[in-house]
Amino acid sequence: MKTKILLDEGEMPRQWYNILPDLPTPLDPPLHPATRKPVTPDDLHAIFPMELIRQEMSPMRHIPIPEEVVEILRLWRPSPLYRAFRLEKALKTPARIYYKYEGVSPPGSHKPNTAVAQAYYNMKEGIERIATETGAGQWGSALAFATCHFDLDCTIYMVRSSYAQKPYRKIMMQVWGAECFPSPSTRTNAGKAILEKHPDTSGSLGIAISEAVEDAATHKNTNYSLGSVLNHVCLHQTVVGQEAKEQLAKEEVYPDVVVGCVGGGSNFAGISFPFAGDKLKGKHKDVDLVAVEPAACPSLTKGVYTYDYGDVAGLTPLLKMYTLGHDFIPPAIHAGGLRYHGASPLVSRLVHDGVMRAVAYHQNEVFEAAQLFARTDGIIIAPETAHALKGTIDEALKCRESGEEKVILFNNSGHGNFDLSAYDAYLQGKLEDYEYPADLIRESLAHLPKGP
Amino acid sequence: MERISDPCIRIGFLVNPIAGMGGRVALKGTDGQFAEAVRRGATPVSTNRATTALRPIRDLPLFFLTCSGEMGENALRESGIKDYRIICQCPSRSSAEDTRRACHDFMNEGVSLILFCGGDGTARDVFSVVEDHIPILGIPSGVKMYSAVFGVNPVACAEIVTHLNEAVLRDSEVVDVDEEAYRRGMLATRIFGFARVPVLPLKTQVGKQIFDEPDEELAKKAIALFFSEILRDDTLYILGAGTTTAEIASNLGIEKTLLGIDVIKGKVLLARDADERTLLSFLSHGEKAKIVVSPLGAQGFIFGRGTQTVSPVVLNQVGVENVIVVATPHKLAETRMLYVDTGDEALDRAFGDSVLVISGYRMGQRKRILHPTTSNQGGPKH
Repeated sequence: MKTKILLDEGEMPRQWYNILPDLPTPLDPPLHPATRKPVTPDDLHAIFPMELIRQEMSPMRHIPIPEEVVEILRLWRPSPLYRAFRLEKALKTPARIYYKYEGVSPPGSHKPNTAVAQAYYNMKEGIERIATETGAGQWGSALAFATCHFDLDCTIYMVRSSYAQKPYRKIMMQVWGAECFPSPSTRTNAGKAILEKHPDTSGSLGIAISEAVEDAATHKNTNYSLGSVLNHVCLHQTVVGQEAKEQLAKEEVYPDVVVGCVGGGSNFAGISFPFAGDKLKGKHKDVDLVAVEPAACPSLTKGVYTYDYGDVAGLTPLLKMYTLGHDFIPPAIHAGGLRYHGASPLVSRLVHDGVMRAVAYHQNEVFEAAQLFARTDGIIIAPETAHALKGTIDEALKCRESGEEKVILFNNSGHGNFDLSAYDAYLQGKLEDYEYPADLIRESLAHLPKGP
Repeated sequence: MERISDPCIRIGFLVNPIAGMGGRVALKGTDGQFAEAVRRGATPVSTNRATTALRPIRDLPLFFLTCSGEMGENALRESGIKDYRIICQCPSRSSAEDTRRACHDFMNEGVSLILFCGGDGTARDVFSVVEDHIPILGIPSGVKMYSAVFGVNPVACAEIVTHLNEAVLRDSEVVDVDEEAYRRGMLATRIFGFARVPVLPLKTQVGKQIFDEPDEELAKKAIALFFSEILRDDTLYILGAGTTTAEIASNLGIEKTLLGIDVIKGKVLLARDADERTLLSFLSHGEKAKIVVSPLGAQGFIFGRGTQTVSPVVLNQVGVENVIVVATPHKLAETRMLYVDTGDEALDRAFGDSVLVISGYRMGQRKRILHPTTSNQGGPKH
């Protein structure tokens, strides 16, 4: 019985899996915020390279991964699949728990799976610089890592509070050669306008997005890059699920349950889409795909499925997704990567159609699970990832009740070595269990923009 | 945010020498019980508690105005403080009247803060004179400390005084506990008033993108704004006591009583300071109703037996599912659990083990509820 199930480098997937053609009906298109008509490739070309726009709408089930991208992914891929024997024992469950560990990447999470691909396509189209935003820095550090491999400049607008309070991610970005500015900054009109009104503001992800988009739109040599939500980002993450499927096949098993945490949705998409494809095609109708989100920001479990803006300012195309409203500012939970008002349109659609389901948890129970895992399997995981773990543990406990020997797979999407202050707050009993008051809000969601 | 910013801080200081004596001899309060406490062998404890709070601040540039002997002078002297002046001569067997007289003198001298050592009874006596005109801070030494005017312990009080220029003044409940009922094992409380109390801002937990709202007044406004969005014209709202519910009403253009229960519908005030009978008459027509309450006191009562207006009958009629609990994040950070003790066990149980407390604009926090049946003692646990 192996603890680590490994693939050779030669066994790494050479194609991304695109779920779009396997949907029973086409995905609702993104709409232009001004015209409310479906966006055209030209609308997006001001800030994205053409190849990524093609991937965003591609009808092809499999899209080849360029050799230059594979070469860099090979630095840590294929990532290991672990069997969590010690967690199973601690839970006294007959379930078999496997996890795919993405914390082995240099930036420590699944994020570089798409960052490398995005940097590559921008380089190919002659772009010299990429601008992006980052909250705590996980995405920013992944893009800094990726751009340095293709000799691209990288400008990162980091939310000011994180810039000041969580310096290590910023230092990682600088080590990889990116420039990192606290947002709001004086480099953009959006930033200046905010600073004029609120000179002491601690910033927000919404402001940082506006700055990065403005930077890209106003510089010909610069493009914008997004670390989650969009179809092409989910696509690039499917290497995770494809590898996991191969690794489980070596164990001669297929998962009964696949679990991942959802903020924008790309890491859950990465682990689950290859299995969702099997489900859609009728090959494994019963596989249970579970998205886990925070009770403080429960877009999939408590939001409405409708068109909404992707950002706070309402500048992006309207996306059909589960949303809590684009003006919703989630509270300061420690799983910062899950603080997003919406969710990937693809994940939203699959949840809406019943192909996947979603559950939500409070912070304290999530950290309790993370501490248990640290003590059984050793890894101190990121607070975001801990949501997926909590969902897994609950499934395993159900198996203890029923006696079922289910195979549970979860995406261990990153380590929490820069999140120790969050663990400290948990240990000191200082974490609040924020919760979205869904029942009270239901009637006040009428302000969402109307669809076509 | 309001703060104490006097460069030369003058503090009125008093000790209730008999406060806390009843605790160790199971008297649950010393109001009118001093002789019995002594008979049972109780010894004074409050001067020691006061000295513990004073020692860490003895070298600060503070000037104290105080009472003679046990009511202040002794503790100042024992802690090594020299900069003080006695402005109130008090008899060795002091009374509530002496406390009130001293507070009048402190007010006349224009002190920036009254630091007192005692329990709920002392807080009530101090507040009855100074109301919200002068900030007060209690060094905990009583048998009961349900009021939210006390530091966590004497050392915490010293820390607040040390950083007084950074402290924020907050409206905090002074709770009046019926001592006779308390001795019979019943906790019957009512809100006596809201004092201004210096608190050190929470060391704000820094999230990945935003800070928690550091300003309590803004937090109240955020709750009020959210409430204005979910308000329905066809529903009767019974608003409980407190500054958060007052802000909710104010945001709707309604001036609410701070201590009373008011009734509104469709942004119109229907009743001020309503009693149980008034509430029941509104409810008798079968209207949809919601009760909006804020946890009160240091222990976070949602409903205590003292909340007699919103009685079990009223609560049963409205339905537990129609209770909306509101509180600022600051209040919740200090109140780890909430407390329900309506006197009707089945009703208490209907609240379940936790409640969602609205703590901001479109945001809440899940808080555990402590029921009297889950506690081993008559009162709430800390």
